[in-house]
Amino acid sequence: MDYDLNQFGLSKEELFAKVDHSDLESEKITAPRYSYWHSVFRVFFKNKFNIVILSILGVLILFTYLYPIFGTYDKYGNLLNSSAKHLSPKAAIEQFGFSIHWILGTGAAGNSTFDAVWFGAQISVSLAFICAAINLTIGVLIGAVWGFSKRMDAIMMNVYNVLANIPYTLLIMVLVLIFSPSFWTMVLALTIIGWLGIAYFIRTQVIIIRDREYNLASKCLGTSTPKIAFKNILPFMTSVILTLVATEIPSYISYEVFLAYIGMGISDMSLGRLIFEAENAMLTPGWELEFWSPVVVAGIISVVLYVVGQNLGDASDPRTHM
Amino acid sequence: MAKYLLKRILYGIMSIIIVVAIIMIMVYSLLDREKIFRSDPVFTKNNNNAKTTYMYQKWEEYGYLDYVTYEEYLNELVKAGELDEETRKKAVSLGRTADKDSEIVTEYVAKFTEYYEAQGYEVKRLDVVMSGRKVASGGQQRLFASKDIPLINRLLGYFAGLISVDNIHEVEGDVGERGLSFTLYDPAYGGDKFSPAIIGNGTHHKYLLYCDDRFPFIHQNLATINLGTSYSVNRGIDVFATMTVSQGSYVRSMVSYPTGLVENSADDLHSATYVGGSRELSQLNIDRFTDDYTNVNTIKAGKSRMGYSFTIGIISTFLSYLFGIPLGILMARKKDKFVDKLGMVYIVFMIAVPSLAYIFLFKAIGGKMGLPTTFDMETTSKMIYVLPIVSLMLPAVANLMKWLRRYMVDQMNADYVKFARSGGLSEGEIFRKHILKNAAIPIIHGIPGSVLFAMTGAFITERVYVVPGTGKLLVEAINMYDNGVIVGVALFYAVLTVTSVILGDVLMALVDPRISFTTKER
Repeated sequence: MDYDLNQFGLSKEELFAKVDHSDLESEKITAPRYSYWHSVFRVFFKNKFNIVILSILGVLILFTYLYPIFGTYDKYGNLLNSSAKHLSPKAAIEQFGFSIHWILGTGAAGNSTFDAVWFGAQISVSLAFICAAINLTIGVLIGAVWGFSKRMDAIMMNVYNVLANIPYTLLIMVLVLIFSPSFWTMVLALTIIGWLGIAYFIRTQVIIIRDREYNLASKCLGTSTPKIAFKNILPFMTSVILTLVATEIPSYISYEVFLAYIGMGISDMSLGRLIFEAENAMLTPGWELEFWSPVVVAGIISVVLYVVGQNLGDASDPRTHM
Repeated sequence: MAKYLLKRILYGIMSIIIVVAIIMIMVYSLLDREKIFRSDPVFTKNNNNAKTTYMYQKWEEYGYLDYVTYEEYLNELVKAGELDEETRKKAVSLGRTADKDSEIVTEYVAKFTEYYEAQGYEVKRLDVVMSGRKVASGGQQRLFASKDIPLINRLLGYFAGLISVDNIHEVEGDVGERGLSFTLYDPAYGGDKFSPAIIGNGTHHKYLLYCDDRFPFIHQNLATINLGTSYSVNRGIDVFATMTVSQGSYVRSMVSYPTGLVENSADDLHSATYVGGSRELSQLNIDRFTDDYTNVNTIKAGKSRMGYSFTIGIISTFLSYLFGIPLGILMARKKDKFVDKLGMVYIVFMIAVPSLAYIFLFKAIGGKMGLPTTFDMETTSKMIYVLPIVSLMLPAVANLMKWLRRYMVDQMNADYVKFARSGGLSEGEIFRKHILKNAAIPIIHGIPGSVLFAMTGAFITERVYVVPGTGKLLVEAINMYDNGVIVGVALFYAVLTVTSVILGDVLMALVDPRISFTTKER
């Protein structure tokens, strides 16, 4: 074949230059630098939907945590004002003048529904975060040991078979009855055996990965068990744990609402308690907003947290980093 | 396999016993026992010593402790013939304080104290409470002994009494000739209709075996299950009976009583049980009955609590598998397509939104569509079942879709699927004949559980639609401190869990020849 080398406009020396052989250069691997978390966020933010949902989450968290700091909310501030009770947003704005407090109307004590919802959301979301943090920490640690040690497995399986049979609702109710129904009692009640399910789940995952070939190879090469646990298995579990976070946090919000609804909830005005107290308002025409506001806010917070957690879980799976 | 199953069942029974023990510790020891008086009007009315003795009486009824008063002790002595009526009358009048007792009282008080303290009881004497010169209201002097029931005794007693088998020496007193008789013509139907029955005399139930026109047509009273007697939820009735006895309005029909009297009544003669001396108590019973088997249940139109819960639960379970499995397959087949994304939105909604919120949403939507939103036992319309069934079904469908999609997607890259595809099978065939069979195994494992747990009812659904089902029993019992019911319901749940896991494993081994119990050892 005849190539027209003149088309490049380069001299022969430039086109064909001799390169010396270098041992050092030939050993270098020219793959792009890989950082795990960098890749996780690259994949996560590549999806525009995630940016949208993350900003919604940001706004929600802002309202949940900052709004109560700047506003003051007195549930019984309008108690003696009989014309302030159960107002629609329109009537409330007419009566009190336009302000963000009245855009959802007023509740049974003439209180602002909007304020009540965000103050309640602060309690519910804090409860969910704290419980999830405690349960996941204990659950993952115990689950990891449980999965690794065969002796521990034999003991823990029997413990699990017994404890898993105790109706969860009953246990929570008894604890709430023993102690006063405060915020920290609820945390205790939700975490006392809440970690067990998580630990069992992690145990199963660990057992699946534990005996894979690459771990077997690692073991043959003399890697210590803690190193296998942290370097070989934990990265594999990150996506599993994040997915677990995504399901756990909304489940605690849901549970709090459920417990408040059966009259076993905490005494603070959480979202669940708001729903419980406004149950009758749902059936009264014109009052529905008092009931639906906390329900919708609880729903939106849960959905957004779930979606963010799920997508972060997907993004943290190294197989999606290609 | 039989050996393995036996081992599993034994383990299951062990864990059930431990669960019941834990629950007993929780409700009897950890809970503050004074809380049961929180909403008791009689308690607030009583004063001074009467209040204290009332508390002990109630605690005995709730099963916390064993409580014996001095008066009861003396009556027992009279019954045993160690004491005559004259001395009893003298001995029973306690002094206002211990040092004011008469000689005979001091003697019997000492006997009482010695007798019960030797058995580990705590003897308590309450001196008179005066208000001015008169004895204050409820301030009379008292003497009693009490002893907390130890956990082991309570546990043993509970499990020993769990199943009671009727026998001809069951009832005390003079009942005439004890024995069983077999008849082909049940007297409850007037004695002309062919209907075999076994009738006992001396047994607790009159009819031990009988036939009628209700499912399952042959009924027995020979063995009864006692899960624990209710105190406040359904006074004096066993938990199992509370769950299974029908509710609603009476169904009257012409009933021919043993005396030959035919009356329009709702009495169910087959449920007759023995109550000593009850026939002589009222003219009505003398007219109707020839013996002391006078305590009868009534026939009611509605279902039992469990009946309602099970009807709703089983239909919704069936429908959720009917919809969930095809939808899950569809999502897996159209992975990352529009259908899959739509399904994911639905699943996310169901998982993330608090269950209370969406049930109310269904109720609001259903109400707008004209469906009845509150349950009414008296209507014959089947439409009242629609909303509760839908509310239970939709989350179950989401759950099934989620897992089936997950399992199928995991299988889709397996080597056997690639092999099948290279062998020229169509995608439909691969999904139906290969992937589904493998992905369905964990789903099949859950079927016994969802069928059995249909019986327990769903608390929120039943409360929102006012269904008279079993779902609220536990919550109601806890709110009313009904310890008997709490333990009974917890045992019922534990038995269901253990049974459903074992049945699930058996079912899984039946459908998947690779799973075998004998080579379980790794």
